[in-house]
Amino acid sequence: MKITLSFFIMLAFLQLCEAQKLVSKNGHIWFTASTPLENIDAHNRQVVSILDPATGTLAFNLLIKSFEFKVALMQEHFNENYMESDKYPKSAFSGKISNNADVNYKKDGTYPAEVSGDITIHNVTKPVSSKGTLEVKGGSVTARAVFILKPADYNITIPAVVENKIAKEVEVSVDVTYTGN
Amino acid sequence: MKPWIRNILILFVVGIIAAVLVYMYTFRKTDPSVASKKADIEISAAELLKSFETDEAAANALYLGKIIRVSGVVESVSEDSVGISIYLQDADAMAGVICSFDKKTNDISWVEKGSTVKIKGICTGYLMDVVFNRCAMDTKKP
Repeated sequence: MKITLSFFIMLAFLQLCEAQKLVSKNGHIWFTASTPLENIDAHNRQVVSILDPATGTLAFNLLIKSFEFKVALMQEHFNENYMESDKYPKSAFSGKISNNADVNYKKDGTYPAEVSGDITIHNVTKPVSSKGTLEVKGGSVTARAVFILKPADYNITIPAVVENKIAKEVEVSVDVTYTGN
Repeated sequence: MKPWIRNILILFVVGIIAAVLVYMYTFRKTDPSVASKKADIEISAAELLKSFETDEAAANALYLGKIIRVSGVVESVSEDSVGISIYLQDADAMAGVICSFDKKTNDISWVEKGSTVKIKGICTGYLMDVVFNRCAMDTKKP
């Protein structure tokens, strides 16, 4: 009896914790790799992200094929030649907001946030860190950040023919609005 | 002007136009929505979800990047500045199928919770739900 009771209390507690997590299923992540020769940008508006305000734990998950380019051929090359999205369909980030204690999730305002963690792209995992902001507004939280990635760091080889058309440093932007779970 | 010079000039101009058209078509083609394309696979939302839940790798091999016509019951419709998402989910299920539409090319304001719809889109994979993008509504407005 005691065991069942404590089990149910634990279950209720777990659900309470779960309920406090912030979730987004339509986060927006985009990147630009433009050069004077070519405009390259792609948008993914189907990013799943979970933020735990209590601990500052943060996770992003996205599908490579959800990146939409203006030019169909670019999208094809991106998927088939560079990201090999049939083999590696997902990218992920998991990390922490290191100054989470300074963020008041109950008070409207824009707070600076320092994020660090591990990012996995093309089956290669690397540590990354970035400065961003958290905007709390009427019960919803929006996370924004911009950071730079180098394709070469993730075993992504760009053929010599198009080398000069694709930037060596790719600027990645994040804009995710969470709602309570 | 001599006729042969004129002919060469005409050929030259036609050649340039053809080259530009081919370039525009192959290298600059924008990906349209799947509205005009034929679906590779027809499946219900519940069946598709089950297939990803049981064996994601196998389901990826079957469905990733394919144009799929998925049928199901609308659980919710959400809208942001550029797009509309329709969420197909069975009442007793934990997850579902998320279908993203471009707002400019799709008028789906009539869709509401509980509507049974068929949606054509490209399956991009499985996160918390099965994800579709570049969708087009295949059910006529009643």
